[in-house]
Amino acid sequence: MNKKSLMQKAAAAPHMVWSVLFIIAPLIFVVYYAFTDKEGNPTLGNITELAQASYLEVFIRSVCFAFLATVICLIIAYPIAYFMSKAKPRTQKILIMLVMLPQWLNFLIRTYSWMALLEDTGIINTILGYMNIGPLHMINTSGAVILGMVYNYLPYMIIPLHSVISKIDPRVLEAASDLGCSPLRVLVRVVIPLSVSGIVSGVTMVFVPSISTFYISQKLGGGNFDLIGDTIERQFQTAYNYNLGAAMSFVLMLIIVISMAVMNRYSGEDDGGVIV
Amino acid sequence: MNEKKIIELKNVAKSYDGEMILDHISLDVHEKEFVTFLGPSGCGKTTTLRIIAGFVTPDTGDVVFDGTRINDIPAYKRHVNTVFQKYALFPHLNVYENIAFALRLNKVSEEEIFERVEEMLAMVNLRGFEKRDVNLLSGGQQQRVAIARALINKPKVLLLDEPLGALDLKLRKDMQNELKNIQRKTGITFIYVTHDQEEALSMSDTVVVMADGKIQQIGTPTDIYNEPQNAFVADFIGESNIIDGIMLDDYKVRFSGHEFECLDKGFDKNERVDVVVRPEDVDVTKPGQGMLDGVVTSVTFKGVHYEIIVNINNFKWMIQSTDYVEPNQNIGIYIEPDAIHIMKRSEYSGKFGDYSSFSDELEKLSDASEEEE
Repeated sequence: MNKKSLMQKAAAAPHMVWSVLFIIAPLIFVVYYAFTDKEGNPTLGNITELAQASYLEVFIRSVCFAFLATVICLIIAYPIAYFMSKAKPRTQKILIMLVMLPQWLNFLIRTYSWMALLEDTGIINTILGYMNIGPLHMINTSGAVILGMVYNYLPYMIIPLHSVISKIDPRVLEAASDLGCSPLRVLVRVVIPLSVSGIVSGVTMVFVPSISTFYISQKLGGGNFDLIGDTIERQFQTAYNYNLGAAMSFVLMLIIVISMAVMNRYSGEDDGGVIV
Repeated sequence: MNEKKIIELKNVAKSYDGEMILDHISLDVHEKEFVTFLGPSGCGKTTTLRIIAGFVTPDTGDVVFDGTRINDIPAYKRHVNTVFQKYALFPHLNVYENIAFALRLNKVSEEEIFERVEEMLAMVNLRGFEKRDVNLLSGGQQQRVAIARALINKPKVLLLDEPLGALDLKLRKDMQNELKNIQRKTGITFIYVTHDQEEALSMSDTVVVMADGKIQQIGTPTDIYNEPQNAFVADFIGESNIIDGIMLDDYKVRFSGHEFECLDKGFDKNERVDVVVRPEDVDVTKPGQGMLDGVVTSVTFKGVHYEIIVNINNFKWMIQSTDYVEPNQNIGIYIEPDAIHIMKRSEYSGKFGDYSSFSDELEKLSDASEEEE
């Protein structure tokens, strides 16, 4: 028994070391820098500095953009995942491949491509020009930033949704229509309630990277739409104010943890059988 | 059957990938009737049920409900409800909400929903289970919820797709009685699909025996058992010895090298026929004192009786007797005229009713088909 538990400890050791080195230790550093000043004395000054209007604006904008991107992803991804799960198993595999295919390209290259498309003299405006439309100003708008988020993170919404929806027992759907549900009502009363867990993980996987991104807003927003990620990056790369940067990271983490807690509460209630 | 027709199938056919699943079947179901589709797996019985429910569209033929053709009416607009094989309860809803599901679609008042759900729960003996999670119920309880859910809208016809298949034997017997009682009480037409012949015989008003996408015989349980129309039906319903015979004249048949008196007539002179003798109708005598003599090859104790396999002229008979005989013993057998049933020859002649390969191969085959179900 002892021997076995020793073996188990040995097997878990690499993971433990990994967690301590790359998760726990950085977190401790973040907290340490966030609550000390440049001389290493404990202070709350970094956190209170964030209460300035300019920083508050950044935080609020980040939350709004990430929220919008997540909602748009959900609206686009749900029908895609739903119809994918109706296809034959072979077709489903190919469709999943196609959804993941853009992810094989580097994130930076994908974002640069959107710049080329959206610029005032870019590909879209050139084509529109031939049709005597435009030019439309698209690059460096808030819409372009949100588009970048949606485009980059959409697959992370589709995949968990598809995996949950495709596992719903088709007999349960037949039972619903047998009892009088039109196809739309089957969707609203059975499919969506049964895919809540997929919605929760999809929302998590889109919201978290959206709220912390910095590159998308710089390239597609032209620096006009500072997000938390941009501000943090600047503190570390340009201003060399590690303490303020760490404080921002700390607050960002809090925002994410609170958002996830709210999400999980919703899904927990649904599993309990309460109709929302 | 005096009641009026509620469902008519007219020349209905269905094939998948070029394989004929239903081969032009026609069938009437009457109001208040308990009809069972009985047959081995793959015989088309579930497809027939799904055509009536509206989940499968027939390639040709008409489905008529209460005098109206309903081929093109989707499942959710049909006045039939289904109890599914593995219950298919809504996992996100509790017992109460599962049963109330159909009512909630129709803007029924909360008081009426409560009243009707409670009535249903009382009928299926599940009072007090309202708030339970359906995923944590036993198979029998899930089954009851499924029945209550399907009956709450008072459908004209209830379709049941092997509803008791997943239950153990004791529970299955109880549920058979309960289902029969529910059917009598509500007066709803039940169409019941099963591969269990005993279930079919004990519950039904009418049994429809199916094989290979065709209806083999329609009749009351007694008709089906006593007057099977061909070797398939005789073999599938209960145990049968099916022997090649020649009809010498009315009431006179020859098989196994002996001439027997029987109660059947109307065949051609010297017409080849299939002769059915049920194992329980054969009497064991001392050798030489019966009509035929044979050697006992095996004896199995079955509780109520012994199952004896006897080799008579190289044809293995099954006999059920309460008297014990020794293996390898010589015995005689005696058959009353009314124990002999004569059938026209069919495509199934010679395929069934010989017990020479019995026990090993056949048992395995039937086990496999049950697992598949």
